[in-house]
Amino acid sequence: MQDELLRVRGLAKHFDSGTERVPVLSDIDLTLGGGGSLALMGRSGSGKSTLLNLLCGLEQPDAGVISVCGELFNGRQPRNGRGDSRRWADLRCRHIGVVFQEANLMPAMSLLDNVRLRAGLAGQDPDDCSAWLERLEIGELAGRYPDQVSGGQRQRAALAMVFAMQPALVLADEPTGSLDRHTADDVADELFRLQAKTGCALILATHDAELAARCEQRLDLAHTAPA
Amino acid sequence: MKLFAALLSHYRRHPLQLLALAAMMVVASALWTGVSHLTSQARASLGQSERAVAERAQVERVDGMPVTVADFVALRRAGHCVMPWLEVERPASTGRVVGIDPLAAACFGQPAESYRGWDQPLNGESFLDIREAKNLAAAGDGARATLSLLLSGPPGQPALPEAYRRAPFSLGPDTGELGESFLLNLDALGVLVLLITALLLRSVHQLGLAQRRDSFALLHRFGVPEPAVRRALVIEIVLLAAVCVVPGVALGRLLAGGLGSGFGQALESLFDVPLFAGQGSSWLTPVLTMMAVVLAVCLADQLHFSGRQVIRRLAGQGYRVTLLTLVAGLALAFVSSSLALTFVAIALVFAGAGVLAPGLISELARRCGRASAAPLTRWQCAEIGVLARRLALPLVALQFALAMVLAVQALVTVFEATFDDWLSQRLAADYFIEVPAGADSLAAADWLETQSPLAGSGRWHRVVRGRAILPAVDGWPGQTVDLFALGPVSNMLGTWRLQAAIDAPWEAFSRGQGIMVNEQLARRRQLSVGDSLTLALAGERWTAPVLAVYPDYGRPAGEVLIHAAQLPAGFRPDGESFAISPDTADLDAVTSGLKRVWQTETLSLRDNGRIRALADSVFEQTFLLTRSMTVLTLILAAMALLIMGWVFFTTRVWYYRLLAVWGMGPREVAGQLVRLSVTLTMSIAVLALPLGIWLTWALVHRVNPQAFGWSLPMAVYPEFWFELAGLSLIIGLSIAALMRRQLRQPAAMPVSASGLSGGER
Ligand SMILES: Nc1ncnc2c1ncn2[C@@H]1O[C@H](COP(=O)(O)OP(=O)(O)OP(=O)(O)O)[C@@H](O)[C@H]1O
Ligand SMILES: [Mg+2]
Repeated sequence: MQDELLRVRGLAKHFDSGTERVPVLSDIDLTLGGGGSLALMGRSGSGKSTLLNLLCGLEQPDAGVISVCGELFNGRQPRNGRGDSRRWADLRCRHIGVVFQEANLMPAMSLLDNVRLRAGLAGQDPDDCSAWLERLEIGELAGRYPDQVSGGQRQRAALAMVFAMQPALVLADEPTGSLDRHTADDVADELFRLQAKTGCALILATHDAELAARCEQRLDLAHTAPA
Repeated sequence: MKLFAALLSHYRRHPLQLLALAAMMVVASALWTGVSHLTSQARASLGQSERAVAERAQVERVDGMPVTVADFVALRRAGHCVMPWLEVERPASTGRVVGIDPLAAACFGQPAESYRGWDQPLNGESFLDIREAKNLAAAGDGARATLSLLLSGPPGQPALPEAYRRAPFSLGPDTGELGESFLLNLDALGVLVLLITALLLRSVHQLGLAQRRDSFALLHRFGVPEPAVRRALVIEIVLLAAVCVVPGVALGRLLAGGLGSGFGQALESLFDVPLFAGQGSSWLTPVLTMMAVVLAVCLADQLHFSGRQVIRRLAGQGYRVTLLTLVAGLALAFVSSSLALTFVAIALVFAGAGVLAPGLISELARRCGRASAAPLTRWQCAEIGVLARRLALPLVALQFALAMVLAVQALVTVFEATFDDWLSQRLAADYFIEVPAGADSLAAADWLETQSPLAGSGRWHRVVRGRAILPAVDGWPGQTVDLFALGPVSNMLGTWRLQAAIDAPWEAFSRGQGIMVNEQLARRRQLSVGDSLTLALAGERWTAPVLAVYPDYGRPAGEVLIHAAQLPAGFRPDGESFAISPDTADLDAVTSGLKRVWQTETLSLRDNGRIRALADSVFEQTFLLTRSMTVLTLILAAMALLIMGWVFFTTRVWYYRLLAVWGMGPREVAGQLVRLSVTLTMSIAVLALPLGIWLTWALVHRVNPQAFGWSLPMAVYPEFWFELAGLSLIIGLSIAALMRRQLRQPAAMPVSASGLSGGER
């Protein structure tokens, strides 16, 4: 394992639903080196998505420290909100790529334009983007719109978008969750292949034990979930 | 009923969508009711002002004695339609009342109509039954009653008995077709408002349906037959309409009442003129109209009428058909010679413009996106295109509303100015003093010339009214025209707005170097300044150059204006009067002097200042009501766009959140939203501009001449365009603010990526 990319200590998160306080995560610790991979497991509602959102700054933790890509975020400190959210935004822009189960693409733009938009925001050369589509074997679909391709092809395009930004860390939230077994395997193969090739770290939330087994580390939220 | 529960379950999850639809129905009903209420109020107050200042005829005795009840009886026995009009002058605190006899009024054409017009308080005068007025007069308290006999029918038909003659009876001049024309335009605008509300209703309903497509598909999969779903939807809409339309109508009446009385109070304090009670139009008409509109608009897709396929096929042809519609409408407006065709042309142009506008925006956005290499610009363009297509109906409604406001503003301003000019022309002097029949007007003129404050002051002139014949010359048929002889030329004439004139026309006129003609005659005879016209006056032919053309504001008769000194000795006038602005001179001294000169007890004196204040105030009210109605429409259109933009955005908020996931700061995302929505509303405003100008042109230059044979001046008001642009900017910013609020809440990932909800492109 290379030098440390991500370190999380004592992370906790709850949601308020109405008057009720719903604790979701408590006292999460994890460490991931550059190029490493981690599978997040746990039953539905155990907080996998919530954790991923915390790790890219889309949600704010109640407590805990996150150190990622050389930036330190201290959840216990009183919110120095704007500075934090700016730093998180910069990280998401250039270093942390996120893949959701679905709807990763802007519906009104072609696949190629989507990849170019994502790469452009990350400061990468938009001209390399068709090469990324080629690499994911959807080069001939570059001009199609998201609703004109299959679910598997859409997820491939989503991977192209993420890797085109040349991230240090990829957060994937059930990226194959809505695909059939065969397609899911193909997309997962691509994901691990590109991760290995680019040397980025990967955190993968999944229900799929087989998929989880392909990661180096594994965190089962069922065991850490608050009572 | 299981089916109903299933259908309604969607609204249980999205109560705001149901609320939006219901709110739209309520507000649309309120708007249209308010507008029609305000229109009828405008109509009523205009009608009232017309009746107040309209010239009627009365009967006078040739011997100069006042008319009595015996004269009324004699005239009725002789078969003439006369009505007693008893004016009771009371001390200032109680004011004046007029007693009329509705039974005698029955022969005045539409009896109920003409009586109803007089039963409302006007300028402090109340109309009463003549019996009550008589009682008031008899009660004393310094009350003084004057009886007049109003005469119905055109002059000379049938001839009055020897001892009587016909004389004008008026509180002021006739607005004539000017008012009619204004009302026609109001009606056209009322139709437009109905169209806009229909568009808005349809847009909200369509959006609701689109959002429920998932549920419908599910029901279908569960084996519910499609007709059953459709039937349930019809019932749903009917119920919703039944619940929403009546409160909407009530709200509209309340609104119109509030606005009306607000204006009324303002007017009362400004002019000391009581508000004219609005005609309480019935509930049934607006409720039924709105129900019909709601059902037609929401259920149009359910109907299987035979023309539907044709419309489908035409719509499939896309922009070629639309463009053709637009061009056909424009061309038709140019060549059409009938009012009906012109209205068809306006409908075609609006249909074409309405379909074209969102398409044009999205096409332009597509081209911009293509042309740009920057990925973010391409995204913006793509999103603009989506918004333009998804929000097409409310955008078009906003476009129509903006165009309408533009046209109404121009129209009302033009009408206001025209009314004003017309009043200045007709009421140039402070007072009109009628020369009694048989009295010597020249002696009076000589006397006036010797009165020190008036002598040579240019504050009075004599008006001689009569007829002149234009002999048949140069292929023009002979015709009779109204003749006005003025002299001396007073300062008051200088305020007339002339349409065309030589340099210093009134100087030349006072030297007797030519004549003036009105717009009607100039148009009919194709006369322009410098042409000469031959008149036959009292059997003598007389040719003079045209010095100026003056506007006639819709008076259909041809008119010639000559200097009084030019009148041949044998000319027999129909009537004579003096226009006087005594200024510092004492009016009482003038009237008593004239009474002495003419050796008469009664003098017919018309106080133009009073008439002018009255006319001004009623016109003001009419224009305010008109403006407020269009502004209401605009507000509704803006609100609809807000609601629609907001509902649409709830379905799409996930994709805007992607920008934040991709590392855009909250401010930048908000900036993008502002750019998108402002671009959208501003482009609609830009597209509304030509439509609005064209509508103004069509109303002023096509509808008006075709309906009334004369045209108003056309004017555009660029400052107002900027106001509208500012308004569009505010609408755009509000939409962006609403969208931004939603972005703060966590967005749910779309349930299916197949583009059923929010994933449209
Ligand atoms: N915005 C929110 N407000 C309130 N509760 C929330 C919110 N987001 C998530 N939760 C709750 O937090 C818990 C964890 O949710 P999360 O989405 O992280 O689960 P998950 O492990 O990703 O589940 P799944 O496998 O179904 O995706 C759930 O009980 C959920 O109801
Ligand atoms: Mg999840």
